[in-house]
This record gives sequence, C-alpha cells and structure tokens, in this order.
Amino acid sequence: MSRRGAGVRRAGVLLLLALLHFGLRPWLGDGRAAPDFLLLALLVYAIGARPGAAAIAGFLVGLLSDALRPVAFGSAMLAYAVVGYLAAWGKAVFFAENPVVAAAFFFAGVVVRDLLVLVWGGGASGMGLLVQLGVWTPLQGLTTAIVGLAVLYVFQRWLQLRLAG
Amino acid sequence: MVSERFASRWDTLVFVTCVGLALTVRALPENAQEAVASAVRRTLLVPFLAVEQQTTRLRAAYANAERFLAERDSAALRAIGAETLAEENARLRDLLDLRAELPPEPIAAEVLREATPTRGLTVILSKGALAGVRPLSPIVTPSGLLGVVRSVDPGRSVGVLWTHPDFRVGAMTPDGAIFGLVRPGGGGPNTMAMLLTGVPYRDSIRTGTRVYTSGFGGVYPRGILIGTVLGVVGEQEGVARTYVVRAAAHPGSVSHVIILVTRARDVGTAYGLGHPE
Repeated sequence: MSRRGAGVRRAGVLLLLALLHFGLRPWLGDGRAAPDFLLLALLVYAIGARPGAAAIAGFLVGLLSDALRPVAFGSAMLAYAVVGYLAAWGKAVFFAENPVVAAAFFFAGVVVRDLLVLVWGGGASGMGLLVQLGVWTPLQGLTTAIVGLAVLYVFQRWLQLRLAG
Repeated sequence: MVSERFASRWDTLVFVTCVGLALTVRALPENAQEAVASAVRRTLLVPFLAVEQQTTRLRAAYANAERFLAERDSAALRAIGAETLAEENARLRDLLDLRAELPPEPIAAEVLREATPTRGLTVILSKGALAGVRPLSPIVTPSGLLGVVRSVDPGRSVGVLWTHPDFRVGAMTPDGAIFGLVRPGGGGPNTMAMLLTGVPYRDSIRTGTRVYTSGFGGVYPRGILIGTVLGVVGEQEGVARTYVVRAAAHPGSVSHVIILVTRARDVGTAYGLGHPE
C-alpha cells in the first residue's frame, strides 16, 4: 500500500468518524453516555502520528469543541491537546496492538479529557462533578472504547494495524 | 504506524506551544473568545452543523411525531379559550388606556448537542440572526423556561441554559404575591435543582408551589413556568429564605425549543414613552 494511499484511507476513516459524531449522535438521545466520535477520531489519528502532530490535531479538535460549547473557552483546546500528545506518546510506549490495551487506551482518553475540561474549565462542582466523573464519564468511556475497538477491527488494514484476536 | 518511539524535542516544543495557545485563548476577554468561536462556527463547522441539524430534525420526526401531535391538539384546545381571554384583556387594556402589549414572537429551533462533559450548560440552536433571533431572547420549551440566547451568528445562536452558573431570572409565585431570584443550584449540568433566593422572611412558600418568571429585568416575559418548590434549603434569620426548586425543563431531554423574540425590551418602549435625552 503506497504511503499516499494509506494517508487517504486514514483521512477517510477520520472523516467518517467526524460525520458519525454529527450524524449519528443525535439519534442516541441525551448523549451523555454515547460514544464521542470526535475524541475517537483524535485517538485513532494519534495511534499513527507523532506526539507533536497529535497535539496539534488535539488543539484543533478542542477548538471545534470550544466553538460548539463556549463554556470556559480554551479548556477543551488544552484538554484535547494534552490527550492527543499523551495518546501518541503513550502508544509509542505501551500500545501493543492488543484489544484490551486498545480499549483501555480509548477509555483513558475520555477520562483524561473529562477530568481536564471539568477541573480546569469548571462548569460542575460538588455532587454534579462526582456524578459526571463517577457515572457518565466511565459510561461514555466504555461506549467509546467499544466503538473504538469496532473501528480498529473493521479498518485495521486501512489504519495499518494488526490487532490480536 | 510510526517507527519513532517517545517524543522528540520538536514534539515537546509543539505540545508546549499548543498548551500555551490554549492558556492564552482562555485568558482572552469574553468578547474576543466569542468572536473566535463565532468565526469557527461560521466556517469550519458549517457542513458538520448542517448534518447535525438535518439528523436532529429527522430523529424528531420519527421519535416525537405522536407527542408533537398530542401537544398540537392540546395547544389547539387551549387556543380556543385563549382567544376569548385575549379579547377580554384587550378590552380591559383599552378601558385603562394602556397601549396594546407587543407579544413575543416565537421562533422554533432545533437543539444541536455536543459530547463534552459541560454540554448541559450551553446549547447551539439552529436559528440565528437571519431568522430574527437576538441576544437575550428567552428560550422556552412546552415544559417551561430553559435558558436565554447569549450570542447570535447569522444562521445559528448560542444559548445559555439555566444550569449555567451565570444564569439568573426574576421569579414569582402564581398569585404574584411573593418574589425572588432564581439561580442554578450548583453542581453543573447533571442536577435538576435551582435555588429561589431572596424571598422575604415574612413570606412562606408551600412545597409544590409553582414558580413563574416575574418579568422584572425586561429579559423574560412574565408568566413562564420555571419550576416547582421542593422546600426551604436555607435562611438568613429574619431577612430572607432560600428555597430549592425542581426545574420544569430538563436540558438533557430537549430536542426542540422556542425562542421568544420580544420587540419591546423595556417599560418605556412597552408603554410608548420615549427615552430620556
């Protein structure tokens, strides 16, 4: 597979995830536990990118997120940049192309993002913060991990991965 | 997969720059932040928001068709009685020599959602300045008050929900005898509690009493349901009581809203008086 062809396929997967974020999420009701396809796109990108490029991608995804949800503007930029950088760096350290590790990778991405947005950006406190971090964040992390695994399995050739199992 | 392991100096430099930029943006004045957000919504996000808007509309058509029909039928029944009341009201205003009240103009809009944990504090609405939406227009649902429009783009607007820490609304009991100020109960978007503050100590509100907008301040028209009183949560001895109120409209369950654009913004305009020079 040529380098250019691989890049186009990877971009196609990312675009599909972005479209799912805006086209599928409204079907999932309230959406607090629904998978975050934009974050998933960032994490999938980070798997095959250098930490610096993943940080830039995270910053841009955060910019989009902040524009959609202008509470504590800038907090999502920081959160997604950190998640992108850590994901690309962490993948280089321990990503073993193992399904369990990959699921944990997606789950951790959601947790870190929510922690940074909530703690640095504010918007929730006391019981509300506990409910978010104790209930909704793990649920969203779980659904994002499941969808993430499905994406990796379906598109592993396009993403040039070899998942075990 | 990249073959390089760990981060190079270049990667670290890029990361630090991104973090620095995010911190800088966070420190910008609110107007500048809104200008950046608005520019992104009007350019990069246009195709994605269009997809989301169509999907939201389609989903509502499938999921809520029966509910919408039931609500329409109820509204039609109420409208039959309302016509008589409106005529009577007009006659009374005429007798009192009051100028005809300008009713708020309703604009229906879809709610577009986000995935981040503070999504319950603000919403993107599918109508903007081109549809006549203005900043500080109240956002309501059939259940009650949901929030207020904060900023407006040509095709979209941003609404602040009652869960937002900055939200405040003047409130009153149904008989218009007791007044207070409603603010979010804290805890962020996962709570349904509001606080009714500043209720004079001599007045007492019974549990289960409904609370409506009082119209003070000129932003919210009088008489929109805010919520139901659950009980006293605190008091300043001899001065005022604070009540906890269960909100009428849950931000998480709303897919469509009505934006009320009021043409008369203050008492002077409503009563036909000119502004002082």
